[in-house]
Amino acid sequence: MELSRSSRHHMSIMARVARINWVVVLLLSLTACVGFVLLYSAAGGNFDPWATRQMTRFVMGLGLCLLVATIDVRFWLRNAYIIYFAAMGLLGLIELIGTGTGAQRWIQIAGVRIQPSELMKIAVVLALARYFHKIQMEDVAKPLYLIMPVALVFAPALLVLKQPDLGTAMMLLLVGAAVFFVAGVRVWKFVAVGLGGLAAIPVVWANLHGYQKLRVLTFLEPERDPLGAGYHILQSKIALGAGGLTGKGFLQGTQSHLNFLPEQQTDFIFTILAEEFGFVGALFLLGCYAGLILYGVTVALRARNQFGRVLAIGVTINFFLYVFINIAMVTGLIPVVGVPLPLVSYGGTVMLSLLFGFGLIMCIAIHRDVQITRREGDGL
Amino acid sequence: MTGPDRTKSRPGGAIRCIRETDLRGAGRDRFAGPAKRAIETGRNRAAIAAAVFALGFLAVAGRLVDVAVSRAGGEPRQLAASKEAAAPISARGNIVDRNGVVLATNLKAAALVADPRRVINAESAAARLASLLPEFDQEEAARRLASDRHFVWLRRGLTPRQQMLVNRLGIPGLYFQQDERRVYPHGRIASHVLGHTGFDNQGLGGVESFFDRRLSGVGGVGRDVTLSLDIRVQHILHEELMTAVAEQQAIGGSALVMDVRNGEILAMVSLPDFDPNQGAGSSEAARFNRNSLGVYEMGSTFKIFTTAMALEYGAAKLDDLYDVARPIRVARHTINDLHGSGRPLTVSDIFVKSSNIGAVHLAMAVGTAGQRSFLGRLGLFDKPAIELSEIGAPLQPAKWREINTMTVAFGHGVAVSPVQHASAIAAVANGGILYPPTLVKRAGNGQALGRRVISPVTSAKMRELMRRVVVKGTGRRAAVEEFEIGGKTGTAEKPSKRGYQRRKLLSSFVGLFPIYDPRYLVFVLIDEPKGVDGNSRRATGGWVAAPVVGAVVRRSGLLLGVLPTVPVEETVDETERPIIKVNAGGIALAAR
Repeated sequence: MELSRSSRHHMSIMARVARINWVVVLLLSLTACVGFVLLYSAAGGNFDPWATRQMTRFVMGLGLCLLVATIDVRFWLRNAYIIYFAAMGLLGLIELIGTGTGAQRWIQIAGVRIQPSELMKIAVVLALARYFHKIQMEDVAKPLYLIMPVALVFAPALLVLKQPDLGTAMMLLLVGAAVFFVAGVRVWKFVAVGLGGLAAIPVVWANLHGYQKLRVLTFLEPERDPLGAGYHILQSKIALGAGGLTGKGFLQGTQSHLNFLPEQQTDFIFTILAEEFGFVGALFLLGCYAGLILYGVTVALRARNQFGRVLAIGVTINFFLYVFINIAMVTGLIPVVGVPLPLVSYGGTVMLSLLFGFGLIMCIAIHRDVQITRREGDGL
Repeated sequence: MTGPDRTKSRPGGAIRCIRETDLRGAGRDRFAGPAKRAIETGRNRAAIAAAVFALGFLAVAGRLVDVAVSRAGGEPRQLAASKEAAAPISARGNIVDRNGVVLATNLKAAALVADPRRVINAESAAARLASLLPEFDQEEAARRLASDRHFVWLRRGLTPRQQMLVNRLGIPGLYFQQDERRVYPHGRIASHVLGHTGFDNQGLGGVESFFDRRLSGVGGVGRDVTLSLDIRVQHILHEELMTAVAEQQAIGGSALVMDVRNGEILAMVSLPDFDPNQGAGSSEAARFNRNSLGVYEMGSTFKIFTTAMALEYGAAKLDDLYDVARPIRVARHTINDLHGSGRPLTVSDIFVKSSNIGAVHLAMAVGTAGQRSFLGRLGLFDKPAIELSEIGAPLQPAKWREINTMTVAFGHGVAVSPVQHASAIAAVANGGILYPPTLVKRAGNGQALGRRVISPVTSAKMRELMRRVVVKGTGRRAAVEEFEIGGKTGTAEKPSKRGYQRRKLLSSFVGLFPIYDPRYLVFVLIDEPKGVDGNSRRATGGWVAAPVVGAVVRRSGLLLGVLPTVPVEETVDETERPIIKVNAGGIALAAR
């Protein structure tokens, strides 16, 4: 009895390390390796400038992931709001000192360029998970209790929209909505908000930037402007078609190597995969993603407290949205929005924040048997 | 197992106090009804989220199939639209394959120009440009920018990204002009057919050069050119030849696929090759088209002509016997057989076993004059009229003596290009009609262009002989399950200043399928193969080229609309198993 009791309060470091799911670590590494291969190819068969740096980041990120996973889950519960407000602070800082192509998305801190909006995606989930953990289950049904979490989602979304980064803002809203759904908010409320959103479309349209309007129009009719705004979709679809079933072979892609898909090492990296490794290669990557998402869902379903469940599902939804939006965008299912392919696209902050997220999921799995009280961390 | 259940199964004081503070435990104890429902809701909704993930994945995977595999993603419509929209700015016409796939097109690019009088500091401007643009000649640019002219060129073909970066430098006096860049989306796959373009998009080499006036047009708008090429078959041929040349550590190779019913070339590969997107940077050797510019002594594939000639002139019948046991000595030369035979051979076996001595007897039976006029009729002494700027003239002896008749019988002493060689063989196999080879898709079936060179009867006999080569002769390694291939191996020793070199071979195979109603000819030639497993005795056409032809036929047969044979195995006896193969052309019986 005493043993069982103490294990519910505290686990030794070794016990935590022993419960790390190495299959997931392997899946994460496998996915990242796909990225290395593609970045090597995108640089025309060079480790520079992208592959080596991406590898360094992944190793750092994986270390962070394992560290996060082995820290007591209650630490994350206690500090959820602190992390959230720190991310908000960085997002606010961008307004003052940010840089970036077309939009202000980057911030330079101590020589490191980071993208606070990526951190925000995880921070929002953490904050929401804490909030829904604290309130009574039946309180979820009361509209008053929803004002606070709605504010938690909308505040960063508005800041991001102002940068302007439509894709990230949309993702924040979608992740927020999904977390609300899992937390048990009644379905008719979503319908109401959805209808409200539809009614707001004319207002939003009037406030969209010229290039954003162009992207939506281009999506609706790609032939409108094949050499302008439709260029990306058209070129990437040619690349996908050229790959066929098994692809042209490593380093043999022409569509992506000719420099006519700008920024192909980031958001359009999937085209390199599809062109050089074909449908089979694309399916392999999708399989890796599916495995990771399955893990997240399993952890959420098996979680014994609201914090764990909401956090795990929130991070998983976030990850899923990256995958879905990016591939849907590249294949022309949805308009072009700046969403990278997780763990594969070149980019440090995304890599770190995603691995941080997976660290949290693993943390919940590891501490599944640790009891968390609803008042845990109230002192802070 | 769920949380509450587990708590319930462990009664005891120690647990009790924990349960007080545990949401689940407390919920169960105090308000069992609503809280439990809430938990259920949470779990159900997580499951619903999982189902949405699954649907999302299905949607994305389905879309991938749509775009990448079935290509039904509306792509042709968009490509067509892009061509129209691009017309005003794209002066040079596109080159497309027989199915309309774009092989060469133009993309909008920017040219960087400058007005030197407005440039404040030429040195620093050049240095800053050099830091952005690869292979930028900084000194030359500085010199130009320091001149007192009104306009200088600095760089052409800037990508949109480079343009943005240069623009961002904010150097006064730099301007952009609309420019075009010729792009070959399939890279090096069809390099020698397409050729490449120079600085002002003028055609240099290949069809770019041959059709330069049509592509660039008059008044600025060029017309498109539709080739007979099928890029899918081209891709297969390129891949297979690349593999073979690499495996054999050969110095090069050439291959082509031709429609024997009208002379259209569906695929043509020459190795080494080059990337036409960087055409100017490639070496002379890489740009050399072995299929049209190169002329080679083909070796034993010439026995197709020798045998057809003997049959056509009535100089020999299929089952006439010839003594091939003794080498032939003429002047200081000795003619010997690679695959020797101690007994007399029929004309059929001479062909199937590729006997040089036998071929010499056949040629001698016809005579020098007959041989020259026959080969001439097959177009082997004229330059082929193919739509390329690189065409090599065939070589023949200045004076034909008896020795020339003898060596030409087995393919030495006359050098022809693979293209004209293929046309002539197509004529022998297709019923006797010679079509000029072409790279342009024929309007209609193009049969009016044909000219009869041998009789249908001789052609039918030759088809049967070529089938036997693959069933039981030197070309067995070309055989595939799905299609009935017929053909002939060729292994020629390369000439040098001091006679022929035994170790340096040109190994080739010409295959036709389906052989009893030929539609396509596949020719593969490998230059200086090292031999299968490095064994130089296995470097002949039958070893190194025949399997490549087989692989190409297997992979492209269905694409080309040829019905595969359906093997119907009827086991009569375990020891002797005749295989009856039914194909579109009728029934043929082959014994193993």
